[in-house]
Amino acid sequence: MHAAVGLFGGRAYDGVSVDDLVSHLGVHRNSLYKTFGSKRGLYLIALRRHLTDDVRPLLDALAGASDAAAALRLVTSADLRLLLLATIERAPVDAEVASEVKAALAAVDQAIADALGVPSDLAAALTAAALGILLRGNPDNATTALARHIDPLP
Amino acid sequence: MALIRIDGDDLVVVIEGLDKLWSFKGSLTIPLANVRGATADPGIASGPKGIRAPGTHVPRVIIAGTFHQDGETVFWDVRDPSKAVVVELADETYSRLVLQVDDPRATVALVENALS
Repeated sequence: MHAAVGLFGGRAYDGVSVDDLVSHLGVHRNSLYKTFGSKRGLYLIALRRHLTDDVRPLLDALAGASDAAAALRLVTSADLRLLLLATIERAPVDAEVASEVKAALAAVDQAIADALGVPSDLAAALTAAALGILLRGNPDNATTALARHIDPLP
Repeated sequence: MALIRIDGDDLVVVIEGLDKLWSFKGSLTIPLANVRGATADPGIASGPKGIRAPGTHVPRVIIAGTFHQDGETVFWDVRDPSKAVVVELADETYSRLVLQVDDPRATVALVENALS
């Protein structure tokens, strides 16, 4: 499943063929269909695995963040490739993906709100900024510049 | 070629034209509850298909009919592998259907949306 998370996090959903899955996961095509029902079935399980393996530890780490700079750095250094791709590509066309993504992002907002003692809308803005920085390739001065303006938080 | 549509709580597959003859099947009606998913899979036609009974297999021309492999029964109707869609079933005579459709992307969306 780790290989599936890597595949789906590395390229567009349509760019991952069943041939790719069969060769990277080391399973037979028939057993892939038998186990997961469809490529989408496998994708949903990979997405949930990503949320457990990569997003859950981020939430735990965020609980220990003392300021906005620390929270931003934790999010921008996490492996969130599949979550980002799912948000952009699959959530608009797949209600089940949309609800997973929404819940995961809300959990990140909540973790930041709890750790920093800030309102949830400000926490959501910090999450959005951090994901934006991550999308742009994490230029370090962006995090520093932003944190300088918002720390210390109330 | 196959036409796939959703009719109430059923998935209905209609085999078109002479493929009816080659595949020994005109149509299939499967309760959506027994449909596990659909996947566009152009690569499946190049893999092993098992033993046909009854059906027609002329390599690179047509794969049609019922095939048995590894204890599974699979229905095929494919001439152009680039348009193959795999429909996985449960508690049916067929374990899966491999069908050529006009628009694989639209067919997959139709089936997956009917399931969720």
